[in-house]
Amino acid sequence: MLRSKFMLQALLVLAAAVAAECPAFAHSGDGFSGGFTGGFAHPIFGPDHVIAMVAVGLWGAFLGAPAIWLLPIVFPLVMAFGGVLGILGVPLPGVETAIAISAVVLGLMVALAARPPLWVAAALVGGFAIFHGHAHGAELPAGANSVAFSAGFVVATGLLHLAGISFGLLARWPAGRLAVRAAGGAIALAGVAFLSGMR
Amino acid sequence: MSAFLRVTAVVLLSVGADTAGAHSPIEGIDGFYGGLLHPILVPAHALGLLALGLFIGQQDSRHRRGAAAMFAVALVVGLAAIVLAVGQTPAGEVLLADAAALGALVAIARPPPRPVGWLAAAVTGATIGLDSPPQVISMALGTITLIGTGLGACITLAIVVEVTSYLRRDWQQLGMRILGSWIAASAMLALAVRWAR
Repeated sequence: MLRSKFMLQALLVLAAAVAAECPAFAHSGDGFSGGFTGGFAHPIFGPDHVIAMVAVGLWGAFLGAPAIWLLPIVFPLVMAFGGVLGILGVPLPGVETAIAISAVVLGLMVALAARPPLWVAAALVGGFAIFHGHAHGAELPAGANSVAFSAGFVVATGLLHLAGISFGLLARWPAGRLAVRAAGGAIALAGVAFLSGMR
Repeated sequence: MSAFLRVTAVVLLSVGADTAGAHSPIEGIDGFYGGLLHPILVPAHALGLLALGLFIGQQDSRHRRGAAAMFAVALVVGLAAIVLAVGQTPAGEVLLADAAALGALVAIARPPPRPVGWLAAAVTGATIGLDSPPQVISMALGTITLIGTGLGACITLAIVVEVTSYLRRDWQQLGMRILGSWIAASAMLALAVRWAR
């Protein structure tokens, strides 16, 4: 009962935030590329980014504590480092390929229920975070309000992790565990499709 | 509504409010009330205040007053510098760097030595003051706007600190650390954009 009340309040907060965006969006004249809305939409409209972020959350939930809470704290910081490289025009080879590979590898980790040491998982996820951040940093629209856009982008990525973690928590039950591993397999297959150029 | 949701609402609504953009006047609201709303309608200022509020709120109650006082004094100094027509300063960039550092400190949840916290609070106050030049013609209206800005920044900080100080459960502390990392990441990216331009 309390949990459903919390969820309802959380949804209302989110709805208020989205609603508050609308007049600002219309008023600023930045178009869809500008401000919080543009930043929020940026990662969500990149399917390769979406599945990789969800896979990160799924894997975190599978690994349990401390990975489940360490991941959403560390990932945005490492991703921002990659984003800074992209914004400043520092070249990074094979960014798109690395993003597709991240979906394959992270999906496989979930599908195989892999449990490497925490530092291995952190290094793997952190390495991929740099490529994801770089891609988004390089694509950041010039006319956007930098702070609002960056905040929208980071919040959307964080919420994708939380979506993955929420679904991953189903792994506590046998049927849920199967569903989570199947989702990991689907993500890996989608990653292969991205890798082979099917978008 | 729980305290965590209140903080989340403040974050989402404040960073989402990009209407004010780069110090453009708020349509229909000027003078004191325009100044009052300025700190929460300029995304960089809202981000800086949130980072500092979370940081101070995480501290022991004995350590909060010093940092808050440093913020207030530095804010007044920054606003006074505007009245004295100080020239162009890199206050916006310094504020973002400060927000990134404070966000990272919130994320690691290990309080630094007290003087470091005070310095970060002072930097936030001074840079918000220096980065708030009112877009008005008369000196009197400009001063009233700046008084509103000072009051708005102090009230916003006080609200964030107060709400944060109630978040003592494990999952709430965790939520704050995640928020801190989001603030640090956003500030780093925004800073890079400004450098690149």
